[in-house]
This record gives sequence, C-alpha cells and structure tokens, in this order.
Amino acid sequence: MAAPMAGRLAALGRRLAPPARAWLPGLTQVRWSRYGPSYLEPEVNKEVYRKPLEGMSEEEKTEWELKTLQPIKATASNVTSSVFSDPTISKFTNMIMKGGNKVLARSIVTQTLEAIKRKQIEKYHQASEEERESIECNPYIIFHQALKNCQPIIGLCNVQKGGKTYQVPSPLKDNRKRFLAMKWLITECREHKHHRTFMHEKLSQELLQAFNNEGPVIKRKHDMHKMAEANRAYAHYRWW
Amino acid sequence: MEQAHSMTDEGEAGRRALWIMLRSVKGVICQGPKLDSGYFLHASARAWLSAAVNQDVQIPAEKPRTVFRTSESNPANHAEQHEGQHYSIPLQEVKVVFPHGLPCRFQMQMRTFNESCLMVRKPALELLGYLKNTSFAHPAIRYVIYGEKGTGKTMTLCHAVHYCAKQDWLVLHIPDAHLWVKNCRELMQSSYNKERFDQPLEASTWLKNFKTSNDHFLKEIKTQQTYMWSKRESTEKGRPLGEVVEQGLTRVKNASDAVGVVLKELKKQCPLGSFRLLVAVDGINALWGRTTLRKKDKSAVSPEELTLVHNLRKMVVNDWNGGAIVTTLSQTGSLFKPRSAYLPHELLGKEGFDTLDPFIPIQVSNYSQREFESCYQYYLDRKWLQHERASTEEGRKELLFLSNSNPWQMERISAYL
Repeated sequence: MAAPMAGRLAALGRRLAPPARAWLPGLTQVRWSRYGPSYLEPEVNKEVYRKPLEGMSEEEKTEWELKTLQPIKATASNVTSSVFSDPTISKFTNMIMKGGNKVLARSIVTQTLEAIKRKQIEKYHQASEEERESIECNPYIIFHQALKNCQPIIGLCNVQKGGKTYQVPSPLKDNRKRFLAMKWLITECREHKHHRTFMHEKLSQELLQAFNNEGPVIKRKHDMHKMAEANRAYAHYRWW
Repeated sequence: MEQAHSMTDEGEAGRRALWIMLRSVKGVICQGPKLDSGYFLHASARAWLSAAVNQDVQIPAEKPRTVFRTSESNPANHAEQHEGQHYSIPLQEVKVVFPHGLPCRFQMQMRTFNESCLMVRKPALELLGYLKNTSFAHPAIRYVIYGEKGTGKTMTLCHAVHYCAKQDWLVLHIPDAHLWVKNCRELMQSSYNKERFDQPLEASTWLKNFKTSNDHFLKEIKTQQTYMWSKRESTEKGRPLGEVVEQGLTRVKNASDAVGVVLKELKKQCPLGSFRLLVAVDGINALWGRTTLRKKDKSAVSPEELTLVHNLRKMVVNDWNGGAIVTTLSQTGSLFKPRSAYLPHELLGKEGFDTLDPFIPIQVSNYSQREFESCYQYYLDRKWLQHERASTEEGRKELLFLSNSNPWQMERISAYL
C-alpha cells in the first residue's frame, strides 16, 4: 500500500518544476546542498571559452552574460578540463573502486585499456593487409562499444500485487542500462574468474569478448531479455 | 666537373637534362655553395632542393617537422645529426646482444610493435665518443651514468652495449645488480669461503645469458689455471672458458664460483690484448648499499658477504686495462634509499664513491623539445597513441605537460591513451 503511494508522490514530484516541489507532504529532503538556487554549474570544457563572442547567437550571448554575473558552484574533484577525460570511464572507475581507493581503481582501468590496446595492436601487426582494416585498436572505442553491447533493452521490476511479488518487464532509463552493463562486467570478473588472475587481465578479456558480442555478460543480457519475454503476461501490472 | 663546364654552352633544356642526370650524385650536389663553379646553384637550385626532398622519404612535404627515424643502424656511425632520432635493431640481433639487458617495459613494447627502436640521445653520443677514443694501454676508465628517475639511464647503457657488441668487444652485462641483493630464495653457504654466501639461481641465469651473447669468445679464451670444483670434477689449465660456464650451468651449486672464475680469468687476460672487455653494470649502487637478505639467525647479510657481489666489486676496480667500465646508478630497484636520491654521493654512499672514484659522470636528463617531438611522432606512427584527441595539438600539449618530458612518464601515459 505504502509503496505505490510513495511511487505516485515521487512521480508527481518529478513532474513538478524544482521551485514548486521544494516541499510536498510526505516528501522529506534527504539530500540538500549548500548552494542556493542561483548557483550555476561550472563549465570545464576549454573549447567553450575559445569561442569568440561575436560568433554566438543572441541566447548564447545572454547566457554568457549571465555566467559572468551569477555565482558558480565549485567543480567536483574528479572532473578535469583534460582533453582525454571521459565521463563513462570515470563512472566505471568509481564502480570498480572499493573502500575509497581511487588510486587502485584508476590504475586497474588504465592497465585494462593498455592490455586491450596491446592485444589489438599485436593482432594488427601480425594480420594481413585485408584484415588490418577490420581490427579496431582504439581501447576507448572498444570500451564504449562493449558497454553498448552489454546494455539490456528491457528490464524487470518487482511489483507487489495481492501479497505476491511479480517480476514485471519494464523499460529502463539510460542511466540504469549503463549501470547494469558496468555492474555485470565487474561482477563477472570478480566472481566467476580465477582469483589469482589480475583484474585488468580479466576485464580486458571480458571487454574484448563483449565487443565481439560473445561471452558471459552478453549471455546474461540475453537471459534478462528472455525472462522479460517469458513474463510478458504480467506487463499490465505496471502502471507507470 | 667537366660536365658542369659544358653546361654554359648548352641551352636551358640541356641544363635541366644534366641536372636530372647529376641528381643521383648527391655528394657533389650537397657541396653546392662551396664549389667554385657558381652556375651550379643559380639556375636549378630549386630543382635540386625538390629532388633532395623527394629522396628523403621521412620529411613530409607540407611543413618542416621533426624527423623521428634514421636508417643508420650501426651505433658506430651515430653522430650529432642523428640526435633525437630512433634507430632500429633487427630482432635477431636483439636476441643475441640483449638476452637480459633491456627494461621489461621496453621488451613489452618490442613485442607489441614487432620492432626494437632506440632513441639516439646526447649522453649516449658523448659516451660513445669516449668509448671510441679509449686507449687500451691505460687502465680501464669508469663511466657512471646518473640522472633522475625515468630519464633513460638504462637505455643509454644498452646503446653503449650495442655499440661495443657491434665492435666485437666481449660484453659483461649485469642487467640489474639490485636483483642480486634482494629476494633471494636459496642462499647457500659458499664452499670456497665459509664466510660468504652463494646464490645459485641468480648466478645460473646470468651464466646462461652470458653464454648466449658471447659464445664465440668462450671458445677462444683459455683458462690459465686448474680449478677444482669437487673431489671428482675439475677444469684443467688451458681448457676453453666455455667449459667453466657449462660447469656452472650443470652443477648449479657451483654456479656462483663459476661466475667468480669467469670474472677473474677475463680480468687477467684482458690486458694481454686478445680481446676488448666492456663491463656494463646497471644499478651499481647495489654493490655498496644494504641487502634485504638474512642469515639463518636473522642477522642481516652485508653485500660483501655475497660471492657474486664480492667478485663484481673486484671487476669494477680500475687495476686492469684493455677495456672500459660503464655503470648506471639506479634508485628504482634500490633498497633503503629515498625516491628523490639520484646523485652519485647519495646513492653510492661513502664506500662506493671512494671505490669508484675517479670516474667520468654522465648525466641523463628529461627529453628536450626535439626529443619529445620525436618520441611523440614515433608513437603516432606505430599507432600507439590511439585516442582521437592525442593526435591534435591540444593533446600533444597536454602530454607534454602531464609527462614533464620525462621518458618513463611519457611511456606510461601513452600506454593508456
């Protein structure tokens, strides 16, 4: 009884604009920030600052003027203006991190990228001329493609009805898909592989397999799809 | 020259035809301004320049960029014009000359790129210059290569080793002296001297690699005294040194003593002049530091109580002639030394410095602008820098900033980009 009510209030809160939902009965603010509503997000990308003022349209000019006057929030410490920074890789590093040991997590991810690159470049140099064009050597492209291949299209949600909990197929948001793909990759490497192999070796192997649409993580995604297909009958239990 | 004089008589077309013929005689054309026949330059100077550019494939035609490769693969011919360029060593030669010398990240790079390319740098050229001018009648000069972490000391040493191997010297290359003073699994009491300790595993690996690189010498050099390994085994006087090495490899217990015998024989016979000896030691500060090894009663082992270290110390003293001693200081594998220490005084300590004094110090520093550009172009060419932003000007500036032109740091960063 309480779960659908909270769900409805949450849906209502999401639909209302931020100033209006500052207070709603039943909704207590758990997370709040020291920044007032007038604070703007920081712009880290250097390219934006290089655009000449004359080249911008009218709205952009007003936005730019606003930015010179309004206060701006401090940047998070994991955000850089480096040209090599990648938000997906940062998210993946955070998910690998255990106990706040970002140094170790980052080293694992960089070693994984290096391992992928080495394997692919070795293959590239030993392949014949025709095969060389089909071999992808960029570890970032491989990483993004592998992640995309692992993302499920449809997921299962627990819905309680009449005392029983049913697994109801429901669409997933982009964030949730990305999260599930990363989580499956990391869990697969941590649990189902030999514990004495290095994490970067296991991860690089998994990523290369996922890039070629094979391997246990792709299988898990297909299992999820099959379950959703099997529980098609309960789709009507979903009301959102 | 007769052809040049006849050019004035012929017309413009004839001149052009002669220029095309003379294009292959590059040496003559290169001395253009110095020749007294003034008509050489004025007419078809531009034709000559474009011809020269077409022949040298490395320089792209659009704008002058650093040339990062050279085809000169013999270190004896490396000169200042090759500074900053990479020269490649054929993989077969690498197996023979460097069975154990190259750093492990460089070996990984060799396997990935399917080629082995070293950069020619100023300290190495300086060292090669000194080695070329060594006088073999004078005592062996000691060269100590020092510098901050990751600046290229080991690679400079490998360059010198390659030069000496090409010049047919006998190369005694100890890849990392720190490996002899730490992490020893089997420490046995030496049979020769009760006070000292043997390290059979390290000694036998070193003997195996020494045999690979200097096989032909081991057949020619003969022992000058009899060595008794045990009651039944001995090497007679006059047998080739290869037998001593075989003895060390088959009877692993005697491996450290075999190493000692080899070093002693080489030091005695080098002044006679039949061969030139290069003693190349990487991480020489290990010989005078501390060890992490312990005796059975948990007391610490000092370096002179190890047979290998004891014999190597004798080798590094300059009381023999007919060769050179090139060494490297290394903080990376060192024990009980802070990371910021890189100067000879700090790493060698008083005892080591006094033993090595006098030596010629050679400092290796970070990449210069030109060398960094060369390294960057090499990685781009080998498809090592895969990130799409890495090939842009922004990416290059960021790499320069992040690595601070330090070769080790540059290699580590480009590994994951």
